[in-house]
Order: sequence, then C-alpha cells, then structure tokens
Amino acid sequence: MEKDRLLPIFALLILLIGSISSIYVYVTQATTSTLLVNGQHYTMDQLFSLVQPRSFNESQYSGIALDDLMLKTGVSQPEQHKYTLRGADGYEKTVTWENMKNGLLTKDSESVFSDLPKAFRVKDIITIEVK
Amino acid sequence: MKFIAGIIVFGSLWGFAECTIGSLLRDVNLPAGAIMTGIFAIGLMTISRVSFRQPGMQTGIGLVAGALRLFNPFGGCFICSAIAIMAEGLLFDLIWTGFSLDLKKPQTLTIQASLGICSTYMVYVGGYIVTQILTPVFSSAGFYIENLIVFIPQILASGLLAALIGVVTVPAVFTLKKLDITIKDRVYYPVTIGVSALCWIIVITNTILILWL
Repeated sequence: MEKDRLLPIFALLILLIGSISSIYVYVTQATTSTLLVNGQHYTMDQLFSLVQPRSFNESQYSGIALDDLMLKTGVSQPEQHKYTLRGADGYEKTVTWENMKNGLLTKDSESVFSDLPKAFRVKDIITIEVK
Repeated sequence: MKFIAGIIVFGSLWGFAECTIGSLLRDVNLPAGAIMTGIFAIGLMTISRVSFRQPGMQTGIGLVAGALRLFNPFGGCFICSAIAIMAEGLLFDLIWTGFSLDLKKPQTLTIQASLGICSTYMVYVGGYIVTQILTPVFSSAGFYIENLIVFIPQILASGLLAALIGVVTVPAVFTLKKLDITIKDRVYYPVTIGVSALCWIIVITNTILILWL
C-alpha cells in the first residue's frame, strides 16, 4: 500500500490518541486546597506564617523561601535530597538543594527560581516531595 | 543561493511571528504553542517545502527562527521556545523526508488534511518533548526522566489543538500554491533580504528599547 494511502489512517489514530489523552488529563486533574510538603498537608496561610519571605527582581516575584520551607517542615540533611515539585495538572520538576536556596513559592502556589529557566515554574503546586 | 535566501526569509518570518504574535498570545493566556505551531510553523514550512522540494530546508528555517527568538528574551520561557522551534524544523524535515511526503501527483483534500494532522501533531508533540528534555539538561537542576513520563498525557493532549489547526493550514497552503504566485528573479533577492532584515531589526530594536526603558 502506498504511504499516502496510510496517511488518513495515521491521522485518525493521532486524533484518537489526542482525544483519549485529553479525557485522561481531565479525569485525573487534581484539586486540593492544601499543599502536601514532605508527607504533611499544609494550607498556604500556614506556610506563609511559618516560613521566611523571599523576593526576586526588585519584588517582581515574592513569596516564601523554598529552602526555609523544607527546613521548617522537618527535612534533615537537606543537601542530600532532591525535591520534586508537582502541579495539579501533573507537570513536575525535580531540583537540587542549591536550586531550592534560590527558589520561592508564591501565594498562587507557583515556584520561581532565580537560577533556573522558566520551565521550572511549576504552577498550582499540590505536592513537594523529598527524595 | 535562492535556497539559502529562502531559508533566511522563511526563518525570519517565523521567528518574527513567534516574538510578536506568540508573546502576545502568551500574555493573554491563550495556548500560544499550539496556535503558533499550527498556523505559522506548519504554514511557513509547508509553503517552503512544496515550493522548493528540498530536504534540509526546514531544519535551516527552524535554526534561523530559533536564533531570532533568542534575541527576544521576553514572553514565557524563551530558551524553551527557541529549542522547541529548532526541534520543530528538524522534525518537520525528518517527517516529510521519512514518509516521502514530497508527492508530485495532485493530492486530494483528504490527503492534504491528513498531512496537516500528522505533521502538525508530530512536530508539536516532538518539539514539546525535546524542549522538556533539553531545557533541564542545560540547567543546573538536571533532567529526570520521571518528570517527563508523568507529563506525557498532557503533552499528547495539548497536541490535539495543534493538529486541529493543522487540518486547515496545510490544505490552505496547497490552495495558495495553486494560485502560482511567483516572484520575478530580479526582485527575489531584494525582497527576501529586505523582509528578513526588517524582521531582525524590529525584534532587536524592540529588545534594546525594553531593556533600556
């Protein structure tokens, strides 16, 4: 069979994959009012009262310091761990302790790092896992 | 020489669109990646491919467009965008060459629409995956395969919009090609050089002004 005759079949397969993935993403979308940090649930208000503030770029980005957040939530020997920040949409990024020392968590649950590209801005964070 | 001038002008137009329209779409929280790939990337690369029928050209176009995007460090992750644009050019080239899509015989609307879906989806999803790998690789955090794997369903889902745009873009390009619009040889180089230069000057001037003010 000629390759161009296979094209409509490929196209239908692609539309099927895209549609099934969209349904899967919609169904598995997580919604929560708390943030799971190092195995414990916290509200944003709790975290903002517990952790020291941090800001970058003349206060363009402000929030709480991610390294202090880990220390205050009981992480020992923090430099020996990796940290996975996971958003409600499933997007996640793993960073080092050095990155955490240059990172903040905004009131909108978004991570901002002064030493990493914008791809590391995880929106609507629901979990910070210590590995 | 016409081939090189074609790479520069198509790449400059794509890069210029990414820096202006792409940034604007991101500012208003529209799915800029899918729209830009579905309309501008696929549109310009398909025009260049059906006009020149030269494998390798779209890789060059992607490199020029990605380079221009790097001169405009605003609107989302510009490094990610530049990597994605370069990857999309290479992927388009590989897909069209690998699947022998440079068809000489007249194509039906079904084939053109299928071509739009397949190439747009694969270019968009492929570019997205490449940038999810390369951006962390070049950062101090490093790349973790599990970060990519859990996000694959999102990437596959977001490609659907790009594919649906591509189903219109590619047949539209083939329809335009039937009009047989050609530029006379004596004005070809002045036009391509002029358009390319204008794109680069506007983007660089805009960057300098934003950084100064």
